[in-house]
Amino acid sequence: MKKILVLILLTILIFSACEKDDFCIQNPITPNLVLRFYDANDRETLKPVTSFYVWAEGKDTIFNNISKDSIYIPLNSLSTETIYNFSTDNIVNQFTINYTPKEEYVSRSCGFKIIFNEVTFTSDTTWITDFTPETLTTIDHQTTAHVQIFH
Amino acid sequence: MFKYFISIFFFFAVVDGFSQEQKTVANETEKDSIIYKSPYGIRIGIDISKPILSNINSGYSGFEIIGDYRITKRFFVAAELGYEEKTSDEDYTNSTSKGSYVRLGFNYNVYENWLDMNNEILLGYRYGFSLFDQTLNSFTPNVNNTYFPANSIDTPITASNLNAHWSEFLFGFKVETFKNFFVSASVSYKVLMSAKEPDNFKTLFSPGFNRIFESNTGFGFNYTISYLIPFKKK
Repeated sequence: MKKILVLILLTILIFSACEKDDFCIQNPITPNLVLRFYDANDRETLKPVTSFYVWAEGKDTIFNNISKDSIYIPLNSLSTETIYNFSTDNIVNQFTINYTPKEEYVSRSCGFKIIFNEVTFTSDTTWITDFTPETLTTIDHQTTAHVQIFH
Repeated sequence: MFKYFISIFFFFAVVDGFSQEQKTVANETEKDSIIYKSPYGIRIGIDISKPILSNINSGYSGFEIIGDYRITKRFFVAAELGYEEKTSDEDYTNSTSKGSYVRLGFNYNVYENWLDMNNEILLGYRYGFSLFDQTLNSFTPNVNNTYFPANSIDTPITASNLNAHWSEFLFGFKVETFKNFFVSASVSYKVLMSAKEPDNFKTLFSPGFNRIFESNTGFGFNYTISYLIPFKKK
């Protein structure tokens, strides 16, 4: 009986020694902005943007000459505004995102993430004809698209 | 003739009797007359691993006083009292917890001592309670991109009057090295029962509990020296 007790205690010690909070396995922690591109005439069908370049104002490009119908882009957590330039066939469309960043604790290994509250989108509508929605209460995940863009 | 008839009946009356006393078994081997008495009393000491760790580890300082009192042959009421300060340096956060704690419970000695030996293999239970402050010294938001990197935020945020309650199961050894002088080592497995958490953060280390894992469990290690003040022997 005593030996069994000791054995149980040791087993608990050995098997619970490895903990899942040593490594951050959640990815991504801070959500990116997910955009999907649809056909302006047939608003249910996805339409890829060809020779697509994406860069933030005053920064290097993050997408170079791609053809995709959905992208995700990071938002600047140090500012309340991120201005992106979307260029297709050398026509630039500026897309501005305004928000309030907020730190939110996740876990020991992952630290704090940034969530974006009170998000508003504006576009200078060159090749993007329309988009929806214009405001979002929060961006706290990246599992579904945040904005649908029609072109 | 009839005159004696009833009297004749008395010849057939039987009386059962036994006049011998019950014999006692006198040849049973007598018990060894030497009884080894063991001391009862209060035992006080300190955890010597904590001052050593304080010297080696710059992010840690701690001190612990221990005590126990023997109530029966195998049961000891035990308590520990201490102070700890620890800086947890993680990938994205750096925080310091400091405060004091108390652990109360009992030890059960499963070891059968020979002769007048006075050693213990102990199984124990403790209820632990700690009161502490936790300061988030700095943190870097985990933005997982290099396109818009995040800055480290170095404004300390202190959460005061935090507390934690936990249960603890321990296993250890206690050896009498000199007369009334004991050296002990034990490990413990702790389960957090409740904790007051800071806003938008978590208690990563509680004094007396050590690191709080994701599953609200923890481990402890004690290496103590103690001195027994014997009150009586039995």
